[in-house]
Amino acid sequence: MKNQVFRAGLLTATALAFGLTASGAALAEWKPDRPVELVVSAGPGGGSDIFTRVVQAALTKNSLVSTPLLVVNKPGGSGSEAFAYAEDNPDSPYKLYFGTQDAYVLPLTTKVTYSMKDLKPLMTMASDVFILWTNPKASGINTAQEFVEKAKAAPGKVRISGAKAKDADETLVTLIERAAGIDLAYIPYKSGSEAAIQVAGGHVEANTNNPSESLEQWKAGNQKPLCVFTSERLADKTVVADGVSWADIPTCVEAGINVKDFLQPRTVWMGANAPAEAAAYYTDLLKKVADTPEFKDYSTRNVQINKVLVGDEFNAYVAEQVKNYEKIYKDNGWLLSSGQ
Amino acid sequence: MGNFGQLMDGFAIALTTHHIMVMVIGVLLGLVVGVLPGLGAPNGVSLLLPLTFTMDPISAIILLTSMYWGALFGGSTTSILFNIPGEPSSVATTFDGYPMAKRGEAVRALTLAFSSAGFGALVGVLVITLLSGWVANFALRFGSPEYFGVYFLAFASFIGMSGGSPFKTLVCIMLGLAAGTVGMDTISGEGRLTFGIADLTRGISFLIVVIGLFGLGELLVTVDEGYKFDGVKAKLSLSVIFRTLLELPRYWVTLLRSALVGCWMGITPGGPTAASFMSYALGRRFSRRGRFFGKGEPEGIVAPETADHSAGSCALLPMLALGVPGSATAAVMMGGLMIWGLSPGPMLFTTRPDFVWGLIASMYAGNLIAVVLVLTTVPLFAFILRAPFSVVGPLIAIICVIGAYTVSNHMFDVWLALIFGIVGYVFKKLDYPLAPFVLAVVLGDKAEDAFRQSMLSSGGSLTVFFETPLVGTMMGLGILLLLLPLLSLLFGAIFGRGGGADAGEAADHQTSRP
Amino acid sequence: MEISRNTMEVAAAATTALVGAVVCYGSLENGIAWGESGPQPGYFPFCIGSLIVAGSLANIVYTLWKGAARASAVGPAGEAAGVVAAEPFIDGTRLRQLAAFFLPILAMVVISAGLGLYIGMALYIFYAMRVSVGYRTITSLLISAAVVLINFFIFETVFLVPLLKGPILEYFGIY
Repeated sequence: MKNQVFRAGLLTATALAFGLTASGAALAEWKPDRPVELVVSAGPGGGSDIFTRVVQAALTKNSLVSTPLLVVNKPGGSGSEAFAYAEDNPDSPYKLYFGTQDAYVLPLTTKVTYSMKDLKPLMTMASDVFILWTNPKASGINTAQEFVEKAKAAPGKVRISGAKAKDADETLVTLIERAAGIDLAYIPYKSGSEAAIQVAGGHVEANTNNPSESLEQWKAGNQKPLCVFTSERLADKTVVADGVSWADIPTCVEAGINVKDFLQPRTVWMGANAPAEAAAYYTDLLKKVADTPEFKDYSTRNVQINKVLVGDEFNAYVAEQVKNYEKIYKDNGWLLSSGQ
Repeated sequence: MGNFGQLMDGFAIALTTHHIMVMVIGVLLGLVVGVLPGLGAPNGVSLLLPLTFTMDPISAIILLTSMYWGALFGGSTTSILFNIPGEPSSVATTFDGYPMAKRGEAVRALTLAFSSAGFGALVGVLVITLLSGWVANFALRFGSPEYFGVYFLAFASFIGMSGGSPFKTLVCIMLGLAAGTVGMDTISGEGRLTFGIADLTRGISFLIVVIGLFGLGELLVTVDEGYKFDGVKAKLSLSVIFRTLLELPRYWVTLLRSALVGCWMGITPGGPTAASFMSYALGRRFSRRGRFFGKGEPEGIVAPETADHSAGSCALLPMLALGVPGSATAAVMMGGLMIWGLSPGPMLFTTRPDFVWGLIASMYAGNLIAVVLVLTTVPLFAFILRAPFSVVGPLIAIICVIGAYTVSNHMFDVWLALIFGIVGYVFKKLDYPLAPFVLAVVLGDKAEDAFRQSMLSSGGSLTVFFETPLVGTMMGLGILLLLLPLLSLLFGAIFGRGGGADAGEAADHQTSRP
Repeated sequence: MEISRNTMEVAAAATTALVGAVVCYGSLENGIAWGESGPQPGYFPFCIGSLIVAGSLANIVYTLWKGAARASAVGPAGEAAGVVAAEPFIDGTRLRQLAAFFLPILAMVVISAGLGLYIGMALYIFYAMRVSVGYRTITSLLISAAVVLINFFIFETVFLVPLLKGPILEYFGIY
């Protein structure tokens, strides 16, 4: 890494000496000739941040790129800062944007300066699943059915925590409420891990979360998975705790909460006018990353659904997701009045 | 205690030549990062993270934590020399450190800061060593009301003591709170006070406020005072360092109190920044020389530095045991843990004892190395100070501008810092207190989040803040601290003098609140 | 030109009052009521804004009242009573000094916004060393170059933090 840094410095120096300009180096086989920024739509330590840094680690360890990679956190305005940065640099081939569904969901609810037209979709590298968690010792809830019963008995009193407002977690909670015909008290925290600790400490009855942030608390007996929001059970059969494996967790549909396939895609974008050859280069590169042991490790640890979506497939996925979210948000009354 | 045996194993892991080299490199890089106000520990650690991908996790975490210690020390350096806090947590060090340096005693101020910081860090690590199991469980007891209690207590201890015009203090606190409110609201997901300006949706960074109010503001005040900057007198002699080190034990009460405050704030979600403020405030109130605070009083440096570093060390424990980072830097390190294939959480202590205890052992060693290294830099900094202000001034201005830009790479932040610079100058000349302003920016939005989360959780009932003994005690103490000046005034008026034992009175006030 | 302390007190308080009013206005957009499950997003900002306004007004009243008291005291017997005329906030000489220090910084930021931080920094340091300190041209040039190179090395090379480059450096292929 150190070497790379110095090599980059050297490169800059030679470029300077020969008076080369960036555009002079456009060859058929496009390659970045300067540091590439990996822009994250979240702060350090969060899910998107770790996703990006794993990609960075996989690229560095396997020497897939020769230029330095900089991870740049732009968490401002719920992550819209990152995509506004794409709007400001529409044609830069040296900037990749890492996010989740936030890229296309944010413009629906919040006043942001960018729109989907400012982003060139590259791919989804994997998708996180959501699980409904509780602390059985503190809440006395052991199954999803008990959770629904308890919520029916005390409308608006059963508390459920999640990360941020009007983001994935709160959206999911409104879906649960509608599917099960219950009324919950949603409490937003800054991050998923904070929300999980509130459940582990017994201050809140339940939370919705990606597996990784509650895994350790599950092992320690402070949290228990109730059901998973996918159409099929998870594939991972390694036993985690109490003789239960990921595959033993019932789907929420089985458990009586009819919400399926609520996923958090790990997405990558570029500026709208980035050169096509650069986009093709990065798509190839990231496909290779998805096959590295580092990324596979990360994916297994997070119990992700490993499905890479690129090109038209990804475009279709995004279009469908936007439609879904628009409908949910309309029902929730969260949509920005048109014109924004 | 079984912990002790494990710690010895940890030392066996940490004290290899390779790891000691890693510590030295980490501390040195940290010093550089800490001195540059925009970079700071969180940025520095995240910049180093890629280097660690190819290392084994123990060396990697030792490198990152050593850098963290270095950055904490580096942050104090610029606070004392130029009144620019390199780190948020070293803001309180400027209050007495800078006046002392301005008087020509920079070497003494730096030595005091570094040695008491080292002491604080060691106490923090000791607490982690002895109480690791208990602390993790204790931290789980903190729900939103308890979070609010912690912030309230920190705030109350600081506000209660603030002198000067009460209206000016009020305006300053509220301006700080307003600055903290700007941006995205966690609870509702709405933008607040942004007035449709895209740059404001990111919020106003605390660092920008500090660079402006303290760094640029102080520059302008110095120019206004006719370039009175007595750094030139800074004598460069080793005997001053040794004399100061011998002076330290005299402040043992402050040292112990501050270390306790620091550990408390590190374990609870208060964090190092709040810890240093709270410790400074308590020092000012309870020290015999408290009324000299703010004029270059040794204890005014010892108190925040000790608390800052003990909190910084203790804050690593919730990160390891719960996966909840106690500071921005810890958040980056936690990301690192996950990339190295470790999962922070209660099981980490049993699944990877070599990692945990190797890290804890390295904290002892790393801090010692940091203190020694940083003390050797004192002569260098004293040398810089000997240059005339007309040369140093523009250089500080450059540091401020670059620092403001590097916070999040926006020119808008630089403009904001300039505005805060003018505000800092005017406020300082008109005796508006700046410390409550800064504290309000740090704690304001966290306290508001915790308050509103508690309200959502309790269905809008305020009694939630007095329900459990834990939160009730914190709120009670906070209210007591808030009312202390009023009460002593009252008693002073009635009995002529006195006003110490009024706990019962305060308890009455407490019940008469909501 | 001299600005009295009282004038400045009133001006500062008026400014903070204005900020408070703006905060109040801004918070109206988020709803300022205390809803059934706690306060709405704008509740606290509105309180904060109101308190800023109230505190600022109190500051103004206090300043004017004190000023009036002093004015009546500084009568013929005023000097004897030990009342000294208030020190001015700033006088002409100092104001000029302050401007001479601050305006170049402002210019640096303006230049940096357009041409990049390194160019802004170089020009500013050169100006400060040549004009304010009075070093010789060649010395000033060297200091300015050293500052730029050290910063470039620390930020771009060691820590990989890109500072704003601006069109000129981009043109020469420095990024």
